[in-house]
Amino acid sequence: MRPIQAVLRGSRVVAALAVLAAAAACGGAGGDAGNQYVDSNLYSMAATAALSTPNETTAVTHHSVTLGGTAIAYTATAGHLTALAATQAAEASIFYVAYTADGAPAATRPVTFFFNGGPGSATVWLHLGSFAPKRLETGVPATTQTVPFPYVDNSESLIDTSDLVFVDAVGTGLSEAVAPNTNQTYWSVDADAAVLRDFVTRWLAVSGRTASPLFLYGESYGTVRVPVITRLLETAGTRVNGVVEQSSVLDYNSNCSIESGAPTVNCAGFLPSYAAVGSYYDLATAASPDLDAFLGVVSSYADSTYAPDAATWLADGTLPAADHVAALVAFTGLPAAVWDRQFDVDYDTFRHNLIADTTLGVYDGRVSAPVGSALDADDDPSNTFVEPGFEAAIKTVLPGELGYTNPSTYVITSDAINTWNFSHGGRSLPDVVPDLSAAISLDPLLKILFLGGQHDLITPFHQTELDLERLASGAPVATYFHPGGHMTYLDDGSRPLMKAELAAFYAAATGGQ
Amino acid sequence: MRTALILSVLLGATAAGAAPHLDPGTPPAATLRAAQEENRTRPASVGATLDSEAEQHLRDSFDAADIAHRGTLTRAEAQAGGFGWIANHFDAIDTQHTGRVSFDDVRRYLRLPGATPATK
Repeated sequence: MRPIQAVLRGSRVVAALAVLAAAAACGGAGGDAGNQYVDSNLYSMAATAALSTPNETTAVTHHSVTLGGTAIAYTATAGHLTALAATQAAEASIFYVAYTADGAPAATRPVTFFFNGGPGSATVWLHLGSFAPKRLETGVPATTQTVPFPYVDNSESLIDTSDLVFVDAVGTGLSEAVAPNTNQTYWSVDADAAVLRDFVTRWLAVSGRTASPLFLYGESYGTVRVPVITRLLETAGTRVNGVVEQSSVLDYNSNCSIESGAPTVNCAGFLPSYAAVGSYYDLATAASPDLDAFLGVVSSYADSTYAPDAATWLADGTLPAADHVAALVAFTGLPAAVWDRQFDVDYDTFRHNLIADTTLGVYDGRVSAPVGSALDADDDPSNTFVEPGFEAAIKTVLPGELGYTNPSTYVITSDAINTWNFSHGGRSLPDVVPDLSAAISLDPLLKILFLGGQHDLITPFHQTELDLERLASGAPVATYFHPGGHMTYLDDGSRPLMKAELAAFYAAATGGQ
Repeated sequence: MRTALILSVLLGATAAGAAPHLDPGTPPAATLRAAQEENRTRPASVGATLDSEAEQHLRDSFDAADIAHRGTLTRAEAQAGGFGWIANHFDAIDTQHTGRVSFDDVRRYLRLPGATPATK
């Protein structure tokens, strides 16, 4: 086996070799001391902030994780890499954490870049919650886990399939624009995607990985970000083998939770998610033990009956026949009085009215809390429960597990959304179905996998199915939805299913290489 | 109403120290109003309309690379201008072997709907 880090690190070959030698001598599971790094740069996530002196020195540590009985030695690299424009001008100093298996052949070993969304959210959720070699144990949908969440070996890690690079967008985490740019320079759909394209391109080049199968994994707003990055990479001549879209919002204009206010879009895409949540609380009398089959029935009803009914109600306030309301009550458990009052039910109305004096989570409708309780403080029990555990963990994982120390605050949620330019493709709010279509036309081998949670109330799975119906038949798209919320991978039953689907997807998307 | 609710959550939490995670968050109110107006007259694209929107993204990239505004690109111009895909497929696109390709040549190569037959 070839010492891949030595090949990957370019100018840091000597240091990497030394670290490798130390790792070999050290052996054993878990991380060694590795190459700790104290980065004295101060990073700001404010709109006007600009870094004067980017720093590309990284912390490099060595670890091992056992998957399916096989120990996998891997290297974790944490630090910044500067995204460069075509002119070679510095654009932004991007913070990332890369997990790379030791000794894997670069030409055939996939590499996957992960992006959370917001906009303004750091990629801490995917990094600490999903498919990295270690993950936080949340126990969701139970809310009994206490902070600090256990940080455990991840038996569903993708490290057996792909190297994993978790990337913070500009103005999140510790990623900051380089002067004369400011963070605001990159706070638009198009500039954000372009600078992240440039990061991916440079990371592949300096890591000696331009021949590696390339995958991008986006979540939430990241499912807008990733299709645009994919189109830009394919346009630039960099092939993308596969795209994973987790909890998608492909078209902001079709999602009735975002397009709040003027009723130009109805909420029919949400109905099956309401049914999943109602079924979870045993309130959906029409539910069957087979959740997938039940949600299929509700999806058909949403398309054939509820969508036209809701459009009529939105147009002139006319309610459908009583048996239609009765069907909705049976599907969801939401009382008839609520449907009679607001027939086009948005997710806030649903989650505040399904159970009296109880708030259901936005990100995971299975998580609930009494109105006025501590877990209800931010009006989303599913986030209020999970966020402190992630916020606390990143503060210890970076200097501890990953050996990267910095005096700045790692910003999980910046205020980027307040001044974000959402315009894209001639619309005020982004629709990235055309970007996917363009990427597919440039690269007929590109494959796209959609994953999501049946109990997610903010990016409902059936709306994703409806958005995807716009693509030409035969588009290289697969969809899998499982019990769980927005961060479906937090569900201990669903994460192994997703891992298996991802493994099959990677095999298909790298076939013939 | 939903916007107001989320905003109040944001403001409340900011006062307390950290904003709660919101992803996807609600865009600014002015953006929502503009989008709602557009959506009244511009439904989600399908079929030929979707094809033309997809094509427009590629045309924008072509035009960005065509800094001399000649309407055609050489292999080197395509590569330097960020359209490396054209450079990679140049010989197949440049069926007339002129050393320059137009966006129509690209459309023909991609068999995009409505592409016109090649002419000398």
